[in-house]
Amino acid sequence: MHIMEGFLPWQWCLVWWIVAIPCLMLGIYQLKKILAKDREALPLLGVTGGFIFILSSLKLPSVTGSSSHPTGTGLSTISFGPWITAVVCAIVLLFQSLFLAHGGLSTLGANIVSMGIVGPLVGYSVYRLLRNTPVNIYITVFLVTALADIFTYVTTSLELALAYPAETGGFFSSFILFLGIFAVTQIPLAIVEGVVLALVFKYIIALKPDILIRLNIFSEEKINKARNEQS
Amino acid sequence: MFEELLEDIAQKNGLREVNTYLKLATGLGAIFLCLLSTSYIAPLFIAAFLTGAVLILARVDAKTYADLFLFPFSFAIMSVAGIILVYGGYDIFWQWNILPSFALSVTRESINQGAFVFCRVIGGMSAMIFIALTTPMTDIFIVLRRCRVPEVVIDLMMIIYRTIFILMDQVIQIFQAQVMRLGYSTWRESIYSFAALCGAAFIASWDAGDDLIRAMDARCYDGKFALLGETRPVERMPCLAVLVFLTLSTAVVIVSGTITII
Repeated sequence: MHIMEGFLPWQWCLVWWIVAIPCLMLGIYQLKKILAKDREALPLLGVTGGFIFILSSLKLPSVTGSSSHPTGTGLSTISFGPWITAVVCAIVLLFQSLFLAHGGLSTLGANIVSMGIVGPLVGYSVYRLLRNTPVNIYITVFLVTALADIFTYVTTSLELALAYPAETGGFFSSFILFLGIFAVTQIPLAIVEGVVLALVFKYIIALKPDILIRLNIFSEEKINKARNEQS
Repeated sequence: MFEELLEDIAQKNGLREVNTYLKLATGLGAIFLCLLSTSYIAPLFIAAFLTGAVLILARVDAKTYADLFLFPFSFAIMSVAGIILVYGGYDIFWQWNILPSFALSVTRESINQGAFVFCRVIGGMSAMIFIALTTPMTDIFIVLRRCRVPEVVIDLMMIIYRTIFILMDQVIQIFQAQVMRLGYSTWRESIYSFAALCGAAFIASWDAGDDLIRAMDARCYDGKFALLGETRPVERMPCLAVLVFLTLSTAVVIVSGTITII
């Protein structure tokens, strides 16, 4: 869910850019460090970005009548951490606005904050919490994706509410209102995306588990356990 | 299921050969003016002007162009409804006090504000779509490099750009094969098929990335892609047109002041 061009007043566009830029700079710094160590990471990152874009250009099977797009940032968060994901996301969001006319240029900062920074940060924390616990891989993936999605949408509502506070009750009541309006499409969407990504992992584990081991996403024994359960 | 990539249209649009900076100045200038405007008139003026340019000069199909506005509109209508309900004002048409600290109302001021935001979205979207339809990404890469965007970021952008087109072909093929085998006949079925499609796309993109690094190694890749750009001259007519457009729009922004709809 992206805020489209022209929706935020210029003051708020500026504020979100100021929030986003230090995070992007941190991401670029980490990116340079990783690339100095392991050049193979570049194509891999590119592929992740391409994958996020393709996911977002596909429409999920209709959930509530309207069709929506999965965000797909979960994968990149798990493999590269939230800051590099912010850079990849910024690029993907730029491509989305110029290839698909989703999102905007002046509102790009706000969209980077919601989809590229807050969502991945939440997803990453969930992943770190659950990685070394006996929780099943699929449940972890489901939670990471669904929570990253939900927090992306909560942040978007926050951005809208800050820009357009209510007369009675101020920021808080307009925040509740925007949350309510978008909950209709976003909550079922988050759940469906979680299920889809968990199934994607099932597919990858069945066909090419070495990718997950090389990326150090899950430990080998956890993947072997998941494979044994499948067969 | 699939959206047409605007890039394909941009690669063969009527304004392809116009200097990139002129096109970016038009689009970004229009976005800037829309944001500065305090009345609904200026964004509508900008939208009308740029729509004309896209349909007549860039020769983009009118139906394709109209379709681009559908998705942002559905989002805009929902959010504008929210603004109208909470914005408040003095000239109240309808009010509902649900809780002491939470009231919904429709007022003259809130309708004006809602209409203004909606028009600003139309103006801003048409400016962004103007850039998207007239300027291919390959030209934008060159501009970014001149603007000193870090090398790593541009490299990453170019790899993502390339991967998108490789993946798009594969995903379309797999999707068509799934449809032929009734993969999307029921809701449950379509969730499974969609997941299989994403998984296959991920594995395919992984292989594409592996191939890419091998090919680049073979060609002595040292961390910087060569980027050949054509420099297109700034011609008099387009330059004049951009100046006229920006001056006219600025004039409209100033003259229209804070005119409201009701």
